[in-house]
Amino acid sequence: MTAPITSMHIARTADDADRLLSTGTEAVPLAGGTDLLVQRRSGRSVPAVVDLSGLDGDPVTRLENGALRLAATASLTDIAAGLDGRFPALLDAIAVFAAETIRNRATLGGNLATGSPAADTVPALLAADAVVELRGRDRRRQVTMVDFLLGPRRVDLRAGEWIESLWLPAPPGAGGMRKVAGRRAQAISLVSLAWQWELDPHGRRTAVRLAMGAVAPTVVRLRRAEAVLEGAPSTPEVAAQAAAAVSADIRPIDDLRAGADYRRRCAAGLLREVLGDVPPSTPSTPSAQIRSTHR
Amino acid sequence: MRVNGRPVPFDPRDPQLAATRLLDVLRDRLGLTGSKEGCGVGECGACAVLIDGRSACSCLVLTGQVAGNEITTVEGLADRGHGDLQAAFVRHHAVQCGYCIPGVLTSCAALLERNATPQRDDVTTALGGNLCRCTGYQRFTDAVCDVAAARRGAAPADDGDGDGDGPVGAVGSANSDGQRAGGS
Ligand SMILES: Cc1cc2nc3c(=O)[nH]c(=O)nc-3n(C[C@H](O)[C@H](O)[C@H](O)COP(=O)(O)OP(=O)(O)OC[C@H]3O[C@@H](n4cnc5c(N)ncnc54)[C@H](O)[C@@H]3O)c2cc1C
Ligand code: FES
Ligand code: FES
Repeated sequence: MTAPITSMHIARTADDADRLLSTGTEAVPLAGGTDLLVQRRSGRSVPAVVDLSGLDGDPVTRLENGALRLAATASLTDIAAGLDGRFPALLDAIAVFAAETIRNRATLGGNLATGSPAADTVPALLAADAVVELRGRDRRRQVTMVDFLLGPRRVDLRAGEWIESLWLPAPPGAGGMRKVAGRRAQAISLVSLAWQWELDPHGRRTAVRLAMGAVAPTVVRLRRAEAVLEGAPSTPEVAAQAAAAVSADIRPIDDLRAGADYRRRCAAGLLREVLGDVPPSTPSTPSAQIRSTHR
Repeated sequence: MRVNGRPVPFDPRDPQLAATRLLDVLRDRLGLTGSKEGCGVGECGACAVLIDGRSACSCLVLTGQVAGNEITTVEGLADRGHGDLQAAFVRHHAVQCGYCIPGVLTSCAALLERNATPQRDDVTTALGGNLCRCTGYQRFTDAVCDVAAARRGAAPADDGDGDGDGPVGAVGSANSDGQRAGGS
């Protein structure tokens, strides 16, 4: 039987949230509930929650120099609407995330806090060099994505802290995210890849950033593959070299969803697809309403 | 909190109710048993309701989280102007065992409210979180496209009163082409 939640507090303001979550209480944040309430159902004891889903504020704020601030407690649907075409990699990630019934409630903060190596919004945020903005009673902290992700289901979130927002520098025009999973909706990624780069007038890629999910203890940057691509022309040889380099960037495991060997081959194949070296083989997302891919 | 247009006769912020799943409050406190529990973990959509017009799984929402919101269950869809959608499901024989239908209808209603000209792909996407194991999605898609066309005045459909007595003959219309839903 699922144990009851004996205390539920609703934060109306960020200060409320700080106070209600401050150390000394056992309360944990509740946002969309699409992970926490599922865990509770499979036996995790969740005696006390603080609801963050009703916090006011713009889902997406445009800052100077094109930087963006994304509210960690807004639904993914509201984030996609607020992005209005900017940050194509995150838009793609939201389009392939679960299904509408889940996207209407699930949040970026909840996705990040789970620390899942397969969390679908994380590759885009890691590739974009996002900064996690944390707060708690009388304190505020900013942590880069790379430092925030500590291991499987482990993130740098201290007692009493919660994620208020994500800050990121202006996303480039070229970027996207692809995911390989058992089916199009409601499926956990077997391998996922987010990318962004600039194309110079000679067709060379610069500022190349690649991040891959479900192939290591955390979502990881593909530093070796990035180095191969940086400043190089878009040729089949370069694509093949980059795909070969992926293998050294990742540490996949066998689990009930896929084998390590399959993940390795998939990872290399996904990168080649993204580089336009082979035609896409995985079904493209049908979510035309929110999808916008810019190569 | 309002459910199907009416304020609820209790305080959704009452500590015990606030921590209870919306699905349980709808079914057990309000007797609105249209919403079903299939999986209890967000996968199947049998429990889907509209929260301020957006489809969501009521098995993953605590009542206190929506204490200030407008909830619509399948029982309230006709009053919200979707009687024609329900009639179209009947006309298209888009119901077999019926367990998934309350959630399917609410997700389709949400789609029609934000998109007056849905393509078949859009219906597929909108139903990504609604599992049906008997009817299949062709007929759902036919019904939704039919209603969307009728609302635009493009084709005669039913009279919108939800009793399913609209003109016969819509079955096998241009939309029932047996194409794989979603295509592309
Ligand atoms: C059917 C189904 C399909 C799914 N498909 C996908 C998918 O395709 N891709 C994917 O990545 N995930 C998927 N998920 C998992 C889940 O939806 C996501 O991880 C989601 O982003 C969680 O966000 P939430 O707001 O619902 O978090 P919650 O469930 O509310 O919370 C999750 C965890 O984060 C903590 N938390 C929440 N908000 C904050 C915050 N602001 N600060 C600090 N801690 C916080 C909570 O205490 C809890 O530990 C799926 C889940 C279901 C049920
Ligand atoms: S019962 Fe809620 S999604 Fe299955
Ligand atoms: S009609 Fe039986 S599950 Fe859909």
